[in-house]
Amino acid sequence: MLVAGRIFALGMLIALWIFIIGCMEMAKKKLPSFRKLAGLDALPEMAGRAAEMNRPIHFTTGLGELTGTVAPQLVAGLAVLGYVSELAAKYGVKVIYSVYQAQVMPIATELMREAYVRAGKPDAFNAEEQIRYLSGEQFAYATAVQGIAERERPAANIMIGPFYAESMMFSETFFRIGAIQLAGTARGYQIPFFAVVCDYLLIGEEIYAAGAYLSKDPIQAGSIQGQDIGKIIGWILMFIGVLATVAGTPIINDLLKM
Amino acid sequence: MSLFVRRQIPIVLVFVAALLVMADYFLGFRTTTGPIVTDLQNWGIILSAFALGFGAVNLFYLHTRHISRRTPGQWPFSIWILIMIVVFTIIGVATGPTGPQYSWLYNASYFALSATVYSSLGFYMTTGCYRALRARNAEAALLLVVGAIALLRNAPAVAVGVPIIIPMEAWLSSIPTTSAQRGIMIGAALGAIALGVRTMIGRETGFLGRLTEAERRGGT
Amino acid sequence: MSKEGAGFWRKLEDVPREILYTILLIVFIIPMLNPIGFPVPISDAVKKWYATIDALPAGSAIMIDFGYSGGGEPELGPLAAAVYHHIFRKGGLKPITMSTSIDGTLLWDKVIAEVNPEKYGRKYGVDYIHIGYISGTETAMAAVGKNLRATTSTDYHGASLDQFPIMQGIADASSFKLLICYTTGGDQSEGWVRQWYTPYKVPYLCAVIAMMVPTMLPYQKAGQIVSLLAGAQAGEMELLINVPGRGIKSADVITLTHILVFAFVVLGNIAYYGRKASERARGG
Repeated sequence: MLVAGRIFALGMLIALWIFIIGCMEMAKKKLPSFRKLAGLDALPEMAGRAAEMNRPIHFTTGLGELTGTVAPQLVAGLAVLGYVSELAAKYGVKVIYSVYQAQVMPIATELMREAYVRAGKPDAFNAEEQIRYLSGEQFAYATAVQGIAERERPAANIMIGPFYAESMMFSETFFRIGAIQLAGTARGYQIPFFAVVCDYLLIGEEIYAAGAYLSKDPIQAGSIQGQDIGKIIGWILMFIGVLATVAGTPIINDLLKM
Repeated sequence: MSLFVRRQIPIVLVFVAALLVMADYFLGFRTTTGPIVTDLQNWGIILSAFALGFGAVNLFYLHTRHISRRTPGQWPFSIWILIMIVVFTIIGVATGPTGPQYSWLYNASYFALSATVYSSLGFYMTTGCYRALRARNAEAALLLVVGAIALLRNAPAVAVGVPIIIPMEAWLSSIPTTSAQRGIMIGAALGAIALGVRTMIGRETGFLGRLTEAERRGGT
Repeated sequence: MSKEGAGFWRKLEDVPREILYTILLIVFIIPMLNPIGFPVPISDAVKKWYATIDALPAGSAIMIDFGYSGGGEPELGPLAAAVYHHIFRKGGLKPITMSTSIDGTLLWDKVIAEVNPEKYGRKYGVDYIHIGYISGTETAMAAVGKNLRATTSTDYHGASLDQFPIMQGIADASSFKLLICYTTGGDQSEGWVRQWYTPYKVPYLCAVIAMMVPTMLPYQKAGQIVSLLAGAQAGEMELLINVPGRGIKSADVITLTHILVFAFVVLGNIAYYGRKASERARGG
């Protein structure tokens, strides 16, 4: 019944499901704690800077679709958008959200509206002005964002989500106009470009933790905890595998190939 | 439409579809699940093609709004984009997407612009390297050394003139870089599995275009 | 050291980007107009790519994905052309192309026009074919791998696949002896590993833009990709197959611009330490 060569993968998948669901349920009783993420702790500073300079905050969740393989990164970016919107509303700062994928717009609108309501400033939210669908084409979107940077000169730029070649273009352009920048992506190709230019950086799964870190949502927090258990299992297998390979036994290799 | 229909039925559909695809991959019931999964995949392809058309409709809607409201600094460009959409559509439909006229239009406009904007990355990277690769401290010095080795290795003539740089860069790529990338990939994959689980059990409803109650309550 | 000295170092440390861009542009244009002919090494990865195709027995079907966008054409187009030259010159192989990128069909036209298969005596539908753009990225890859005819029944002109001799016996991934992907997007390059290599073990050659190579290396080190090339290595492939083209012309530009950027980095560091030394001298 089980396809040879995929048995171990199926077992690991089921185990991860159990851990993730279990941790999500446990998180409802006690929220897990996270280590400090400097970039996220700097968000109030970024909003304050924007308020002092009377300039907006620019936010983008990059390219990618809610139904694609990079959807987890997009979802993580939207979680941070909710937090930033509430923070900005409290400080009286405009948030401009540049949208690549049209299907994100209704979610973003609802997210930001709820954030402004929580901040006690529902009338300050203007969806048409603040949520801008630019283009579904990569470089048309990229040049439109650069245009927003040059014209509106945001004091802060936050980029969390799946980014492609436009990452360097955004980073350099916002650096040139003097914006403070926080960037985060799990797309390994673009992390180096953010690392050399941006002030704060979230690498890889830190963006998944960002949503949980900021929202204190037990579902997201429990999910992160379950993923961390998965990483621990991976680390244990790797450690045992190295020892086994050095000892001359292929037991772990055979287990992985099962 | 009741909340049950709008919310629960899509979640059940997602759950069943995901289970079928996983059963087809992991379990040996190919004769049963194979044709169903093939159909599901083909439906997925059709839906994603439909999304392209949806994107065009969305663009029309947004830009006609800009034109009707005379949005300052925007509305002339909105007229232009609508003209170009119409021109591309008419030529594409009339001559086919592989016709010489459409190909010429594509090569003369979109391809040229796309390649130009992509090429501008080289300039951004130059200023980025000039500014960032400075040995301000130990970590920055390490970044500088590694960056310099990679830069010179990728210059073909330098690799011929200084052959020692080839195994140096090969070691850097094979050992520290690959190890770091594997760690990031494992993390990203676990994130995708977690999102998949949350979607299947209805705890993640972003794809339905709405927030969960927890997300509504979320924030500082 | 005087205040003017510190000012000099500061100016050198913050050279305006307009000057940097102008120098870069000049260094870029000169070798494009007057090729210098710098030596180009042929790397092991290029040799492995070549050997993999060369080792294919006659009648082998190759799935080629033109998964890159217009922006990546200057880098990946020359490599795709060089590989087609190799395939057509070897003869007896069945390159069947599809596109997971919406620009792919038009970019394929460009490459085929450059290669001119007719000069090798190759005919469309007999020796090569394009089965069109299939949307959905990984879903498309999975669907084509499972059942090609159920996913698409026409070529990119809309003609039925049944009429083309090259498509005889082509049913799914198991019909192919090799997979080649040219892409600017990680979704394609990684997706083929998951959807074709992992379930069907089809050998996979992958060409990406240079900045994607470090991230794709884990797959190549794990044996999931036979050979991984950056598009910038097109010149090496052209040299190997002895068909010079756009790739080898770019090699001079790549060499000079990389050396220039290295020089800028050195300049920046000299200026940084010079400024620090002059500030220390003033302070001390």
